[in-house]
Amino acid sequence: MNLQRVERVATQGSIVRDCPGTQNHICCGYKTIDLVEGCVLSCSYCILQAYLNSQSIKIHDNIPYILSQLDDAITRETGHILRFGTGELSDSLALDRKYRLNQPLIEFFGEKKKALLELKSKWAYIDHLLPYLNPYTIISFSVSPQRIIDQEERKTSPLYKRLKAARKAQDAGCFVGLHLDPVIIYPGFEKDYQYLIEDISRLLDLDRVIWISLGLLRFPPQLLDHFVEHNRKNLLHGEFIRGEDGKMRYLKQQRIKVYRMLYKLLKSKNDGLFIYLCMEREDVWKKVTGMTIRDNEALVGLFDTRIKNLYGGSI
Amino acid sequence: MLPFLKMTTIPLSNIDVHDRAFCISHPVYDETILSSIRQLGIVEPLLLLNSSPPVVVSGFKRLQAATDLGYWQVPAVTIEATEKEAVLITIHSNIHRGLNIVEKANALERMLHFGFSREEVFGMMNLLSLGPHEKVLTALMNLANSEKLLKDFIYRHSVSLKNTGYLLRFDVTERKKIIQLLSGIHITEGSLRDVLELIGLMKVKKGRIGFKKIQDAEDAVALRKRLQEETSPLLSSLEKKLKRVKEQASLPPGIDIKVDPFFEKEYIDILLKVKSEGDVKASIEKLKTILEDGYIRSILELTKG
Repeated sequence: MNLQRVERVATQGSIVRDCPGTQNHICCGYKTIDLVEGCVLSCSYCILQAYLNSQSIKIHDNIPYILSQLDDAITRETGHILRFGTGELSDSLALDRKYRLNQPLIEFFGEKKKALLELKSKWAYIDHLLPYLNPYTIISFSVSPQRIIDQEERKTSPLYKRLKAARKAQDAGCFVGLHLDPVIIYPGFEKDYQYLIEDISRLLDLDRVIWISLGLLRFPPQLLDHFVEHNRKNLLHGEFIRGEDGKMRYLKQQRIKVYRMLYKLLKSKNDGLFIYLCMEREDVWKKVTGMTIRDNEALVGLFDTRIKNLYGGSI
Repeated sequence: MLPFLKMTTIPLSNIDVHDRAFCISHPVYDETILSSIRQLGIVEPLLLLNSSPPVVVSGFKRLQAATDLGYWQVPAVTIEATEKEAVLITIHSNIHRGLNIVEKANALERMLHFGFSREEVFGMMNLLSLGPHEKVLTALMNLANSEKLLKDFIYRHSVSLKNTGYLLRFDVTERKKIIQLLSGIHITEGSLRDVLELIGLMKVKKGRIGFKKIQDAEDAVALRKRLQEETSPLLSSLEKKLKRVKEQASLPPGIDIKVDPFFEKEYIDILLKVKSEGDVKASIEKLKTILEDGYIRSILELTKG
């Protein structure tokens, strides 16, 4: 699978950072751990293709240094339950079977019991982590209709394997997360997403899904030309505009329509699901969910409540 | 130093005038050179390779002019050189006049053809003020090997390397139609980029370029508009609705309502241009009317998706 060079690099500076978020869009206050930079999965729409120039994949494996930064961040935070993830600049699991970077992090969060670690992936192999999993690690999968996986995520695990791995994590006592991100508009996508949600509800225990994010395809403008050059018909089917944050995204009326459809479908399976929109505007939130989310703080508050409800007094 | 053999006047019939192995000039026909030679004759002799028959290394434009003017002989210097040296000679003997993008592409293509290494070619790219990157070289090779129609268009409009790259993404038939489409239009580099991007997008989205829908545009703005309607019909329909509501509201010159161009922002800007208290009063009255008539609500609705 891996044709890219993987190199270990000296770990320095801030490895634990706030998710960059984007201007005038509501961000969930996620914290990122830049454990690995670059990804072997090379999804056709991935923003890493525009953000990361290097051909090689860089691994920061000075674990004590990273853990001390995590410890500082958790100690400093008094108002919220922090959520950390390693899937911002890479896939959390794609290289883990070989490099075993997640195990010490999982153990750290399990001992700390004050914050959550999310491992977000499209690579459905978690067996090596099963002995170490604890409730403070969230195994998450980005999910798409198999048609999109076949055409745009060619190096990733098939949908059923991702869902089976998620189920395995649930059976091991973990909560899991799901990310319908990027949602792509193409001819017949409505039906495909309906089947996808059917599969999710059939294979997973929805009461043990901690959160589901919805995010329609968005990307830096330089990728638009890349998509045209590489004839990415699926990715270019909808209408794109340049958002206030400078990123290309579908026209607002298309976004609202699609989010509404997905939100309703998911809620019809389990009304208790915690569904959030990734990097969306206040008015889109309102139209889709009926909730008024004025700023990032309001959304972070929803996460706190969700986690407290699921974990009781144990966090 | 070049081993010059001799300067002589040589009959055209003794030269292989069809051998263009060392030709990088584009276009070969040059009105200025033709006029100059008509007045004074060929001042600078052609460079010929000492082969049998001799072939031109440098001076293809002069040769063309001489032929057009009915000359039967030309002044020439014959040189002894390998083919690789001859390629370098033709490039360096033309470099002072400033090569256009097609000629730069031809020069690099000739170098690769005659076996120069990648490093040597990249060195020449530096000399020609081109970024020495594989992607740039590939685009230039494609240009050098492309049809005359495209090369002429790129030369005539001084098309940038970026826009040349866009044009090369289309096949020959599409390029021919695109050039026809643009031939009667004054187009700047910026609007050419926009148009080519939109045509490319149209091709991916629809699987083909609908030339019938975009032909006969009177100018670049109209062409871009039509392409936007084809590639972004929802956005175009919102723009049309906004225009219609504003027309129905009959806004006076002192009042304007600005909406985010992509209907993304939740708010609108209402601009008043006033010179006196009376103007303010009149503007407020007008705003009150259009508010009561529901036009502001209609415009706000457009921004709410």
